[in-house]
Amino acid sequence: MRAYMNTISNPWRVFDELMSGFPYDLVNNALRTRSGYYPRVNVWESGQGLVVEAEVAGVEPDKMDVAVDANVLTLKGERTQADGTAGEFQRSFNLPFELDGENIKAKAKNGVLTVTIPRKASAEKRKILIEKE
Amino acid sequence: MNLLRKSEPDVQKVNRLEVTPVARVDEKESAFALTVELPGVSDKDIEITLENRTLSITAENTVGIFKDYELVLTEIPEVRYRAAFDLPERVDTAGIKASNANGLLILTLPKREEVKPRRIAITAG
Repeated sequence: MRAYMNTISNPWRVFDELMSGFPYDLVNNALRTRSGYYPRVNVWESGQGLVVEAEVAGVEPDKMDVAVDANVLTLKGERTQADGTAGEFQRSFNLPFELDGENIKAKAKNGVLTVTIPRKASAEKRKILIEKE
Repeated sequence: MNLLRKSEPDVQKVNRLEVTPVARVDEKESAFALTVELPGVSDKDIEITLENRTLSITAENTVGIFKDYELVLTEIPEVRYRAAFDLPERVDTAGIKASNANGLLILTLPKREEVKPRRIAITAG
């Protein structure tokens, strides 16, 4: 009965259980390490662009990679896991506008990576005029 | 405790979610290394106390606020990390050292002299 109640409160439970054995998290578009880790993020948006803050404790700044391809932002990194092996993680975000990959600013402080990316000039928010007939 | 009478910063403190940080212990020949993940925590927001043989760690993270931007996805809450460890007799509590880099707090817990492995030479008889 309890198992059944759990399914009501979280209809994705069975799906989550099935997917937990699979290294690619489809819902969050992220590659998990063997320890099940991928960075948590806060995303801020404005007319100018995006600010993404990601928790990357224990990742050396030179082992991190931020890439932009049109409207997809990818955060990648490598860190040493508890058992001493290297774990790779990756997380991508599909955005509703294109980003300017040339002008990314990224800094790491206390295990938090802050990435500032402007919108592509052509992707600035604009109002579309409706023509009258 | 009357929350209504508390000043603003105190109320915020009460509201913070309390979580246990991810931690691990590695044993080396002369010391234990206790690693605690504290992303977004500055040195000044970490409090490490030792009472009898209980080592307590309390830390608060700082979440960035960006003016003129709108928060569209929140996965990182403001939290208070709290962890306590009972240290074994083998640890020399006077020699504990702490360092904080890349969001990892590393505590070096040296072993007491008498429990360190040592080589015993055979005296020629």
